[in-house]
Amino acid sequence: MYSSFLKTAIRNVIRHKAFSFLNIAGLTFGLTACILIGLFVQDEMQFDKFIPEGSRIHRVYYQITTEEGTSQVATTPPMFATALQQEFPEVENTLRVLNNPNKELFEVGDTKLYEEGGILAEQNFFEIFPLQLTYGSAVAALEDPNSVVISQELARKYFGDKNPVGKKITISKSPFQVSGVFQNNPKFHLPITYIFPLVAAGIAEERMQSWDWYSFNNYVKLKQGADVEGLQAKFQRYTQPFLQGDETTTYLPLFQPLHDIHLYSADFRYDMAVRGNIIYVKALIVTALFILVIACFNFVNLATAKSLQRAKEVGVRKTIGANRSQLMVQFILETIFLTLISVVLATLFAWLFLPLLNQFTEKQIAFDLLADPMNVLLLLLLAVLVGVLAGFYPALVLSGFQPVKVLKGTFSGDSRPGKTPWLRHGLVVIQFSLSVLLIISAIVVRRQVTYLHSKELGFEKEQIMFFPMRGERMSSNVETFKNELLQSPFIEGVTVGYGFPGDMFGDGMMTVPGKGEQKKATQLMVDHDYIKTLGLELVAGRDFSREMKTDKDHGFIINETAVKELGLGTPEQALGETLLWPTWRNADSVKRGQVIGVVKDFHYKSLYERVEPAVLQIYPQAYWKVAVKIKAAGIEKALPYVKEVWEKFSPEYPLEYNFLDESFDKMYKAEDKLRSLLWIFSGVAIFVGCLGLFGLAAYAAERRTKEIGIRKVLGASSQNIVLLLSGDFVKLVLISILIASPVAWYFMQQWLQDFAYRINISWWIFVVAGLSAIAIALVTVSFHAIRAALRNPVRNLRTE
Amino acid sequence: MIKLNGIYKWYQSGINRNFVLKDINLNIEEGAFISLMGPSGSGKSTLLNIIGMLDEPSEGEYLFLDQSVFAMKERQRKELYKQYIGFVFQSYHLIDELTVYENIEAPLLYQGVKSSERRSMVADMLDRFSIVGKKDLFPNQLSGGQQQLVGIVRALIAKPKLILADEPTGNLNSAQGDEIMQLFQQLNREDGVTILQATHSEKNAAYGHRTIHLLDGQIQHQHVPL
Repeated sequence: MYSSFLKTAIRNVIRHKAFSFLNIAGLTFGLTACILIGLFVQDEMQFDKFIPEGSRIHRVYYQITTEEGTSQVATTPPMFATALQQEFPEVENTLRVLNNPNKELFEVGDTKLYEEGGILAEQNFFEIFPLQLTYGSAVAALEDPNSVVISQELARKYFGDKNPVGKKITISKSPFQVSGVFQNNPKFHLPITYIFPLVAAGIAEERMQSWDWYSFNNYVKLKQGADVEGLQAKFQRYTQPFLQGDETTTYLPLFQPLHDIHLYSADFRYDMAVRGNIIYVKALIVTALFILVIACFNFVNLATAKSLQRAKEVGVRKTIGANRSQLMVQFILETIFLTLISVVLATLFAWLFLPLLNQFTEKQIAFDLLADPMNVLLLLLLAVLVGVLAGFYPALVLSGFQPVKVLKGTFSGDSRPGKTPWLRHGLVVIQFSLSVLLIISAIVVRRQVTYLHSKELGFEKEQIMFFPMRGERMSSNVETFKNELLQSPFIEGVTVGYGFPGDMFGDGMMTVPGKGEQKKATQLMVDHDYIKTLGLELVAGRDFSREMKTDKDHGFIINETAVKELGLGTPEQALGETLLWPTWRNADSVKRGQVIGVVKDFHYKSLYERVEPAVLQIYPQAYWKVAVKIKAAGIEKALPYVKEVWEKFSPEYPLEYNFLDESFDKMYKAEDKLRSLLWIFSGVAIFVGCLGLFGLAAYAAERRTKEIGIRKVLGASSQNIVLLLSGDFVKLVLISILIASPVAWYFMQQWLQDFAYRINISWWIFVVAGLSAIAIALVTVSFHAIRAALRNPVRNLRTE
Repeated sequence: MIKLNGIYKWYQSGINRNFVLKDINLNIEEGAFISLMGPSGSGKSTLLNIIGMLDEPSEGEYLFLDQSVFAMKERQRKELYKQYIGFVFQSYHLIDELTVYENIEAPLLYQGVKSSERRSMVADMLDRFSIVGKKDLFPNQLSGGQQQLVGIVRALIAKPKLILADEPTGNLNSAQGDEIMQLFQQLNREDGVTILQATHSEKNAAYGHRTIHLLDGQIQHQHVPL
């Protein structure tokens, strides 16, 4: 019996070519999108899953609550690990990792390259995270302070295929010896290329006992069966006395499961992990489901619209003895046959498009879909599931036809004139609601991303070249170095310091003596040229001046937010106020100074974060980074010059730089990707929806052939007819817009909450989305409407 | 074989009942060949459909082989239908997507006949009606007469006791019509199949043993040809 069903199915597919094409194309597009999204999501979920006993490993992070709300910080004090290890029996082991944000200069023979991705780790690193070691011993590799463990890529780069263990590498002028080679797993949350033993940093013992040096990734591995929640609560109680913020700030240590680090840390600060974003993953899953639903609805719509053509067959089969369930099975099998074709095609397309997806997401997803029988089974299951979902209702309708009625020849299915096909209209409304939802989201995301990239940040980020100082001669001759750079006519300004926009920052407590106000503020360690070079705007007071000798040791310039938060009134009133700052070098020595100027707030961090209070001060001890402002169109001339000067001061180090605007753009990479993915997938959704609409329009035009003929004989113009036929569908799209708009507004509003600085969702976005949906629907539908309208009415009526 | 007692069929239209069949009482013994005549709308098709269990009367009793058909469960009725009844239609109603062979085979599929058995049954029929050469053609590649022949063969494949034919020659020319009628006659005589046909043509009606005249849903008179 099934072979007969299959035969009928194949012949039906061939006979109704247009119908089959629309269905298969729609399903194939939908399924391709789903498979690709599925591969991506699967990859995202696999992070750190390769680590044995990973479910017992947690990272301890901070939740910081202030008046403005809560934020998460990935790095915590070194004492966390010590305390956990010593005081809590549930803990099996702890591990401290210190991120090295700097690029280090690697020298082996003549090869001299900067390498990033370095960390310092305790000796048991490979015990907790057993990455595979190609060479060296997991136990001993991180023992000797002069050793370094490097990744396989680095090993190949510097030593070829030979075993490098025991070989020397000079790293930023200090000698190290390779003690091991590891293979980094692309699904490991730490993007590391080399590991120093923590002891190599030579951190003083008392510093390692600090409760307020938030720089470590503290990992804790629990004993089997230990209660995380309980331990977390105990640990919070235990640390309470050590973690005193000020009156308005509280610090709460929390345990984050290892498997959550990749997807659930998107808004963590100071997090070096390779991070995804669960919101974006969820958005993609939802989009995939939307597309699949739209494709399934296409099928339901087209199949029920075309049911008339199958009605006779149903009648005949029933009179020769078929019962309803046999017919349902037949029709569902036919649908499964179509979905199987689509799944095969979609797998092929997914395979073709995967390299693009990989390139785009910077992943290395392998297409081992068919290598694993489980995946093949999953795909077959998908085909069956989609087939049953899409085929059930049409099968129910078709198999319910009464032979007495359908064989008489007067049967008109569910398309009697005057009767609205509610279901079909309902499904079209749902399809277009989903599409409009995606269009609106795509527009909002696009606008927010554009805003992120183009918002006035309060300083000039263009044409600014940025690099760290290297070498003794450069650091001890900063002024000469600066002056020499300024000799070039293409260089407008040079400033050195620590605390440049988009880079790293230090912070410290500011006190207003007498008022008792105390606030943590970002410390921007600058020279006299910082404000000029970056183009900051002073709203009160003056810039640092070389003539005023007190500026260096007793001058502060603060931003507007600092004025507000320190309770200094207006910027003008703040001028002359005294501030105290405990210096970094020695916590007991306090720098006392006056506010000499106030700068307008500027965004030195990403727009995810609200501008915090910031203090600028002259601090030559932290002249670690250089920013060079280059004149417009002068980059090609200035670059060789900078290089030349660099060579003079630091010949032993190669020059390695970037541009400030580039590093700012990089902050919004995730959003850039989301934007592009949303555009691509809303495009797919709309396209699939339109395939269905196209089929429905063809059917409607066919069904109303006689009506159109009569109307034309009565004097209707072609335009009237086109309007008549398109009007129905436009109405449906309008309803969809009404449904989708508030939903889209709600979800987009939620998404925008993540950004401290964001666009408003203005009304015109809905208008544009709506109009484009209508336009797309009209173009789709009008093809058939126009064809029907232009047909000779006499012929139409004769054939009736 | 068939006993109809006081069969009524009506459609409610507002407060009026439009009667399609009115008080039909009929007895059909096994092996009969009966023609139903009457103008369009006289109720022929409805009567055939009721006898063929595709439709239900509004009132009345129907006994098929002494079993009350409409007191049965749907499943039992289906079984009865599958076992005993074959339908032949004016417009043949072959399945366009299936070949001649497959059309003839289809009823066997629904009766769960094994594939080897199916093959031999279909082969026998193709042979008997000399359409072996056409077995791989699709309905639209056949003439009307050939299509109707396939329709009849399909009705016969399950060896029914009763063939219900609704104007089987209505779409055929007279020569083709004669052939079909002769076939019916032969089936009736040689295989003992009971045949009930609705027809407009006196000539075709004459092939039967008995003609029943219907008018406005009522049996007007019956007569037995000489």
